[in-house]
Amino acid sequence: MSESLVLDVRNVTKRYDSLEVLKGISLGLNKGETKVVIGPSGSGKSTLLRCVNHLTKPDAGEIYLEGEAIRDANINAMRARMGFVFQDFNLFSHLNVLDNVRICQMKVKGADKKTATHRAQQELARVGLEEKASAYPAELSGGQQQRVSIARALAMDPVVLLFDEPTSALDPELTGEVVRVMQQLAAEGMTMVVVTHEMSFARQAADEIIFMENGHIVEQGSPDAMFSHSDHERTRAFLNVIADHG
Amino acid sequence: MDIYDVLLRDFPFLLKGLGVALVLLALLLVMGFILGLAICMIQLYGPRSRFIQWPLIAYERVFRGIPIIIMLFIFYYGMSGLLDITSFGAAVLALGFRSSAYQSQIFHSAFQSVPAGQMMAARAVGMSRVKAIRHILFPQAARHAIGPWTNEFSSEIKETSLAYVIGVVELTRQAHYIITSTQGNVLTVFAVVALLYFIVNRAGNSALYAFEKKLAVPGFEK
Repeated sequence: MSESLVLDVRNVTKRYDSLEVLKGISLGLNKGETKVVIGPSGSGKSTLLRCVNHLTKPDAGEIYLEGEAIRDANINAMRARMGFVFQDFNLFSHLNVLDNVRICQMKVKGADKKTATHRAQQELARVGLEEKASAYPAELSGGQQQRVSIARALAMDPVVLLFDEPTSALDPELTGEVVRVMQQLAAEGMTMVVVTHEMSFARQAADEIIFMENGHIVEQGSPDAMFSHSDHERTRAFLNVIADHG
Repeated sequence: MDIYDVLLRDFPFLLKGLGVALVLLALLLVMGFILGLAICMIQLYGPRSRFIQWPLIAYERVFRGIPIIIMLFIFYYGMSGLLDITSFGAAVLALGFRSSAYQSQIFHSAFQSVPAGQMMAARAVGMSRVKAIRHILFPQAARHAIGPWTNEFSSEIKETSLAYVIGVVELTRQAHYIITSTQGNVLTVFAVVALLYFIVNRAGNSALYAFEKKLAVPGFEK
């Protein structure tokens, strides 16, 4: 079963002192699937995503990438195959856009400069920023920075992309350009886990929506099932609140 | 022969003294740089064991807490019983150890001023900690460090004159020789010496400032 899954998260738990943030979460993604994780703040969504690539180390549970378990010993190689997009972009501030997208290919995968440059230009074109190659992060808008960070992740040829609230740090008028890139990736068959409050993206691009609260998965299902006729009182209440604000 | 003729005649000695001061400066700064960076790396990224961390804290406090002139006496007169050390060697060690304590502090805050997200992003794409420090953190920390490091350069060029007290024949001692041989003219001779220190100091500051400007990242406010 796990052999066919690209990403297989099994029974992950995480506790900070007395606070149990993740109470045994499991989820699996087939190739090309997009799963969107929603839920109120403090529900454990971001912790879950960080546990997937061990940026936060889970207390228990296993994570398999293409059937291979993530361990301390293989962590760098495994992370190189998982793209991570941060809420606050975290572009390398001393490097220009091209170098931001090149450096990981060169220093992690050992790509030569010519190959890395070519690949970086491809990915920058994909997010519509090829003309910004020589700009520095501080010279870009938040939306542009986030698109560069997506290009940086894509240039590593990841088998799965993890998005941690990619639009939450953006001004409302800048979320659209990032969401469009994510929609395009989902349509092109990228395997993605997206933690977000962008319900339009969830509704349109998700194969499955996962609603989390208090460290549990409360409910999961197709966007249609979740938005139109959720069985759970909590899911309906959360979606109503989001809808009122959106 | 008036004092200006003497100064003109003995100017090569002053330059020679200045040369000694500059070699001393270069050696103590390099020593302070290497040791200071090593201390900072161990403090920030090394084992958290108190058997490693506490001695480093003690080292830093001791070398920052003792007057440099006492340090020079200890390293020269104190050590001479234990090892055969020249006054110049003692001056390099005393000033170099002390500079390493200051430089480790400079690097410490420079590395800490790099946002935590930079390390996280580097690790998230699969860089090891060493690679992340070398390719992502160090270039950013270096930019933060140049300003305070310029201050360290300025104080150390002045501190080299203290090597005088253990007999290093640097600029200040050469000046003293001229004063002794001409019996007086303290003001004129030391004014020339002060000017030489000042020129070196300004030149170094300007060079470091130009370097800082050259490395500045566009759009990035300090």
